[in-house]
Amino acid sequence: MIDDVVPAEMIPELFAILDEEPVNRYESDIFAFEATAPEPTTAELRALRDNFASTLAPALSRITGTPVTRVDMRAYAYRPGHYLLPHSDHQDGLQRMIAYAYYLPSPEPPVGGELELFRCRVEGGAIVATDSARLIEPRANRLVVFGVSDISLHQVCEVLGGLRISLAGWFHP
Amino acid sequence: MTRLEDLFTARTAVIVPDAIGSGAAADLRERFERTGYTRYALVDRGSYDELRDPSEPETYAALIALASEATGRTLELAEARVLRLVPGDYLLAHHDHVHDELHVELILDLSPAIVSGADVHYRRHGDVTFQVPSRPCALSIVARASSVTCNHTYVSRLHTDACVVRLALLLRDR
Repeated sequence: MIDDVVPAEMIPELFAILDEEPVNRYESDIFAFEATAPEPTTAELRALRDNFASTLAPALSRITGTPVTRVDMRAYAYRPGHYLLPHSDHQDGLQRMIAYAYYLPSPEPPVGGELELFRCRVEGGAIVATDSARLIEPRANRLVVFGVSDISLHQVCEVLGGLRISLAGWFHP
Repeated sequence: MTRLEDLFTARTAVIVPDAIGSGAAADLRERFERTGYTRYALVDRGSYDELRDPSEPETYAALIALASEATGRTLELAEARVLRLVPGDYLLAHHDHVHDELHVELILDLSPAIVSGADVHYRRHGDVTFQVPSRPCALSIVARASSVTCNHTYVSRLHTDACVVRLALLLRDR
């Protein structure tokens, strides 16, 4: 977890890039939120994504021992009643090695919307118990990264008020 | 071309409003409460209270009669359980049982009040094919193929007093 990760004078540029990107509502049995498409539609967001990867991937590779190079990136808006229920992010074949979330300043800071990480007890290859391990507040200009595995359970707690804005995705080899 | 799988999934999915009186629903809730629920919380699958195989033969007989009439099949009870969901609870589709046989599933809504957004969704290949909204005293009757999964949607914490109680019966051909 790194706070104040982007110089304050650059944050308006981030919003300017995101303003051009279409946002849709997404809903399934495990989530309800608004987000940009999985692949950015504007050259500016693609450039931001690629710069993010080239800036952070070398350091993350060194720190975690997991070699990563490229990244995907979507912008998310969680309004009251939006959530992302516990899941691991791991999917065979997708090579999601490190997950990240970067929280943008919000005109209405969110109530709720914490990132909750779970501790799993595994027996015989199956998860048999889960406990809350850590609750991370979506504080503006905070970057959170964590390794992805089939037991990296986490959730975005329901937003009860305000607006939670983030960029999130995964680093890949 | 119609595939064999499509033929077998085009089956009964109906909602019977007022299948039980509100007084009878309250009595059932109270008996289930007295018997006691067990908390289920493997968070990547579900979060809810459960009561397995409560003994309610008269209720079951009445519901099975309704289901037999709706489906034109002669049915018997295979499994019964009560689910109770409070704010923050859910039951995900991949936690749902996968049935090899063509079962009929009944869900009787015993909740004391409507809880907005607290639905039961039947899905096929991820898409919702039948939606059962929160409606106290209503009964859903769904003939299920093995490719259909069921999830109980997240109960928002914005509904601080919400309590969803569902009697779920799985029926098979007799």
